[in-house]
Amino acid sequence: MRFNEKELVFLSRQPSERAAELGMKGPKKGDVVKRRVVKLIVNFLFYFRIDEDEPIGALLLEQCRVEREDDQVFSIVFLDEAERKYLFECDSQEQCVEWIDAIVKASYESMRKNLIYYRTEIHRLTGKDPLEQYGISDETRFQVNSGLPPADT
Amino acid sequence: MKLNEKSVAYYATCNSPPDKTGFLFKKGERNTAYHRRWFILKGNMLFYFEERESREPIGVIVLEGCTVELCESESEEFAFAVKFDCVKARVYKMAAENQPAMESWVKALSRASFDYMRLVVKELERQLEEVQEEARSSQAKNKLKKHQPQVQGATSSQPTTFSLQNAEITGPSQEGVSSRENGVSWSKPTSLPNGVSEGCVWEGDCCGKGDGVKPPTVPPRRKPSGGSPESPVSPGTGSFSKLHDWYGQEVAELRTEWLQSQ
Repeated sequence: MRFNEKELVFLSRQPSERAAELGMKGPKKGDVVKRRVVKLIVNFLFYFRIDEDEPIGALLLEQCRVEREDDQVFSIVFLDEAERKYLFECDSQEQCVEWIDAIVKASYESMRKNLIYYRTEIHRLTGKDPLEQYGISDETRFQVNSGLPPADT
Repeated sequence: MKLNEKSVAYYATCNSPPDKTGFLFKKGERNTAYHRRWFILKGNMLFYFEERESREPIGVIVLEGCTVELCESESEEFAFAVKFDCVKARVYKMAAENQPAMESWVKALSRASFDYMRLVVKELERQLEEVQEEARSSQAKNKLKKHQPQVQGATSSQPTTFSLQNAEITGPSQEGVSSRENGVSWSKPTSLPNGVSEGCVWEGDCCGKGDGVKPPTVPPRRKPSGGSPESPVSPGTGSFSKLHDWYGQEVAELRTEWLQSQ
């Protein structure tokens, strides 16, 4: 599948939501933990070799699940391949919790849910649809019913 | 650079709702002819398929940091381009089948970025806090009682909509106020020690009132033509630069407001 790699690499250089040096282990059997600089930018997790400018790779953080594996370790699995885990080792429990929180909030889907919640509440309390002023009240992504199935955990 | 391509392709075709779908002509990179492709927009990812029935996308355009412009094309009417800021970035030229489709796609793509979504969410979050503050301090003036208390909905089996969806978008569509029982439930995402799902289900909170959160009555539908003061552009507009400027201005305004609220 083709993708606009140059633009994605450019994105990896933008200010990040969160960045740190973590231990990272890929999902393949035989993968070992390696120190990587991990950067969270919009809904992508980029990972770099230490002191390198070009990312080795990127993970799109949609349709994935983040789990606490240990005190300082979290994992990311993608729903289409749930047996394959990417593991991340943090330096502290606090850092681990912060990363999990950040990644959960980093998906477009989770933002959409927040937005629908806020929109509904504001309308309930004020009688006004806050999206009207932006001219985006009709957009599919902001509708309560967008055919989303109940979440399976 | 590696990408979790398999999972990205899964995202394209999984049952999460697309934000927009339709046929567009896309100019090839080497072969400069325009090819008709099936497009699916989800969030900030624009996928394209050989055919509507294809199982896997040919490719994806990550829309972060892009601008969308209308453009003149020698061979195609209703052409527009997706451009990026980076050096040697490719320009993706596309053409719709008619004027309304072109405008609809340009509008959707201009606002597809995560950044834009985040701005809107932050703005609404701020507004909600303001409103809740006011409600707390002036309970007597609260105009809450528009709705009847309802049985707390279970999971989101039959949620209510705000308004009609765009005609080009696939998926269920409804119009007007639904009289069905509220089925929407949601809760704010929290991180759990034993794992957090990306697909968090919201559960009714309602400022602790206990009654089910009910999606409000449908706000009046914006007129498709003529537009309100916020929307000087109507489907009949022939001024391309006006269209373009207006989309850009909107994002700029949001950004300014957001920055001021920080």
